[in-house]
Amino acid sequence: MTATSVKTLVNQPYKYGFITDIEADTIPRGLSEDVIRLISAKKNEPDFMLEFRLKAYRQWLKMTEPDWAHVGYPPIDFQNIIYYSAPKKDENKEKLNSLDEVDPTLLETFEKLGIPLSEQKRLGNVAVDAIFDSVSVATTFKEKLAEEGVIFCSISEAIQEHPELVKKYLGSVVPPGDNFFAALNSAVFSDGSFVYIPKGVTCPMELSTYFRMNNGETGQFERTLIVAEERASVSYLEGCTAPMYDTNQLHAAIVELVALDDADIKYSTVQNWFAGDEEGKGGIYNFVTKRGLCKGKNAKISWTQVETGSAITWKYPSCVLVGDNSVGEFYSIALTNNKQQADTGTKMVHIGKNTRSTIISKGISAGKSSNSYRGLVKVGPKAQGARNYSQCDSMLIGDTAEANTFPYIQVENNTGNVEHEASTSKIGEDQLFYFAQRGINTEDAISMLISGFCKEVYNQLPMEFAAEADKLMSLKLEGTVG
Amino acid sequence: MTVETSPTPYTPTLNLPPDAPSDEFLNQLLRQSEQQKVNIHTEISGWLQELRQRSAYDVTKQRMPSRKDEEWRFTDISELLGLTFQLPQSGELTKNAIAPLTLPEAKQTRIVFVNGIFAPNLSDTSGLPEGVYAGNLSNLPLDNCYEAIKYIAYQDGDKELFTALNSTGFPDVAVIWANPNVIVETPIHLLFISTVEEQPSFTQPRGLVIAEQGASLQVVEHFAVASDNQCSDIPKNRPYFNNNVTEVFIKENARVNHTRNQRESGDGFHIGKTAVSQEKHSHYTCNAITLGGKLSRHNLHIWQKGESTETYLNGLTLIGREQLADTHSALYLQYPHGVTDQLHKCVVDDQAHSVFNGKVHVPQAAQLTNAGQLNRNLLLSPKARVNTKPELQITADNVKCTHGATVSQISADELFYLQSRGINAENARNLLLDAFAGEILERLPVASLQKVLAQCVACRTYE
Repeated sequence: MTATSVKTLVNQPYKYGFITDIEADTIPRGLSEDVIRLISAKKNEPDFMLEFRLKAYRQWLKMTEPDWAHVGYPPIDFQNIIYYSAPKKDENKEKLNSLDEVDPTLLETFEKLGIPLSEQKRLGNVAVDAIFDSVSVATTFKEKLAEEGVIFCSISEAIQEHPELVKKYLGSVVPPGDNFFAALNSAVFSDGSFVYIPKGVTCPMELSTYFRMNNGETGQFERTLIVAEERASVSYLEGCTAPMYDTNQLHAAIVELVALDDADIKYSTVQNWFAGDEEGKGGIYNFVTKRGLCKGKNAKISWTQVETGSAITWKYPSCVLVGDNSVGEFYSIALTNNKQQADTGTKMVHIGKNTRSTIISKGISAGKSSNSYRGLVKVGPKAQGARNYSQCDSMLIGDTAEANTFPYIQVENNTGNVEHEASTSKIGEDQLFYFAQRGINTEDAISMLISGFCKEVYNQLPMEFAAEADKLMSLKLEGTVG
Repeated sequence: MTVETSPTPYTPTLNLPPDAPSDEFLNQLLRQSEQQKVNIHTEISGWLQELRQRSAYDVTKQRMPSRKDEEWRFTDISELLGLTFQLPQSGELTKNAIAPLTLPEAKQTRIVFVNGIFAPNLSDTSGLPEGVYAGNLSNLPLDNCYEAIKYIAYQDGDKELFTALNSTGFPDVAVIWANPNVIVETPIHLLFISTVEEQPSFTQPRGLVIAEQGASLQVVEHFAVASDNQCSDIPKNRPYFNNNVTEVFIKENARVNHTRNQRESGDGFHIGKTAVSQEKHSHYTCNAITLGGKLSRHNLHIWQKGESTETYLNGLTLIGREQLADTHSALYLQYPHGVTDQLHKCVVDDQAHSVFNGKVHVPQAAQLTNAGQLNRNLLLSPKARVNTKPELQITADNVKCTHGATVSQISADELFYLQSRGINAENARNLLLDAFAGEILERLPVASLQKVLAQCVACRTYE
């Protein structure tokens, strides 16, 4: 391949980098108790929520930013962030009655992103909650889901309409003081999705949330809570994009999953926040706390993630396996290019008897990026017969990329079985030669090799998203090997 | 090299900087170091004084680690901090007393240090070939001394707290030095003995191993206590603290096979550092055996200083009761064509706690590296604990790097297999344990040591 074509391919623009010009209701920069009261008041929240936020804020003030991750960034000025921004609503109308009343510019934005919100256009079996900056703009298929008793709405709506459920579960998996960014999120979170699957119900369609960050100076702090009652089952997918700005934006989200007896939650993420340009300018700081609690017996939580975006990713979707025989799974692909930095992995905490967990992590680093797997497998003293299998594979593309693995294994029970393997490899000349012999050009060959490398994880994604993720990966990597 | 008479003991001053450490425990250890007499040629006393000052300065800038430090997250040393240590008062041992610790293979290639100080009456180096020196720094001819001090405390990582602390107060230096192309067939036994006293004692042995170009050495470094012929494993409430450092320099084409046998008593606190630098085409093998100590930590750091080096690290930790054994190894590859292979095995019984952290750094320059690492842990009791963290940091793309870790108990399938062949459950279990430990023990270059250690494995783990 010639040098020029490599260059053009590397410089592939970020497709989702446009900015929507929309009038927004934005509060001043900075964070204080007053700001939290203001956010809470704007959202007309009950008192327990304000208390929850203030408590988290007071804890946050006492905490220091974590520095153990293998990432580097200039200090964040938390007083220079706008903590609430929402598309302006018509003052006269308190609530939107149907999608037709949503600002057409917004609908257009999501249309452009490939997420048509009007239900006719949508694939029949996916319900979407679209979140724009700090608020949820629309949730589709609500009625159809309600027939089954499934609640799928924005978390602000849930706070208004199902306060008892929110009160019971919010913060039960990730307590407000869990870590620095979790405390910050608990204090200022604006919106997010809420899912409740009642006893014995298998959610009839895929649920999905789409996050869009638009304002250049806002931080996005969303909060997702999914509760699956006994024998319930749900598959959930989130996607993310943001416009291109020269400055860095902070995204500090929390996702909490609760699975009771025999419940099954599958959570998939395709993360494609703006990653900054080749020089590492701009991009999202993605500092996310995701945790699932297998509270009941035989519960199962499965995380699948495809991480391709963000300037910095700091994210460890975890499973706390409390219920006996519960299962935790983590399938991840993390791709970094240019100057992206990712420190991601999982935590599997075995507490109940005969709990099992599987970790499959694939890291691909290209350009001058740094990609770290950091995982914890902990087997508590009472976790008789716990079983874990971890596999972390890294692929290096180019000799300026960095791949690290930091697996922590802590075992306090002699009936447990923990296995961890890791390997590092690259796309070999001989592999490419083999393809070339068969008339397959380098670009296609690489794309096929990457697909093969990631197959175990793709297999876990819902069908159409797997295809999308595969396409996204080859797009992101085009031109990195020449 | 000829042996001279020992020069008179010399006590250098250790002027602490005005802002002495806020850490009371460190202050205490520094005050002890301050009084340490050193046997040394007066001509190089200036160097020593400077080294001690520099190291004291490095120490005062730090504090004792706690579990909040990533490197010490799983190793709780608070028990050590509760004790008051003093320098050992005695140090006289008879040949008979150390007889059980000697190796028949190294009868005439043995140097003994009691509380870190050379004991010529217990040592015997008559079996060494021409061109290799084994002894202490002060017996080294002055010209060689000038050469030797270019190595001491010049290994990377010398500012690390416990290494710097050792540099402020080592009482003597054990030196093993092979001239170019000298091949020493017999293993050299480097025996560090601590004497146990009424008061908790504090010793800081220091070692220096240099293999010049094309030389080949086998060193058996052995840490033990002077005991009255009983197994020293049983705690007798006589704590002591051994903070040792051994630096190994391996020149071009040289080979060092280093066995490190840590058999402190059940009361001992042992913090040890092995710092190795390897020049091109050199081989280094470390067989680290950890059986002793109430609390032990082995920091094993290896720097590659040239291409095509080979490094093999074998480790066996066998602990029970309330022992804690921690191994932190770090391999810093810096040149292409490096080969490293590490196998660290732990058998953990009772309420013991084993910690392993293995770092492998492969920067961009270290292309064509082939690095493997495996940590296997066997838990024998419900209260045994393991913390392991194999770490890979890689920036070179044309490399083959793998690591793995397992934690398990004796497999029921394996027991069943043996039982189905007519071996009873007890024997089957013992056989599996022998095999687990045997994989490391059979790599030891000294047969008698293999035998002794195999007995210890049996004694400790058989039901």
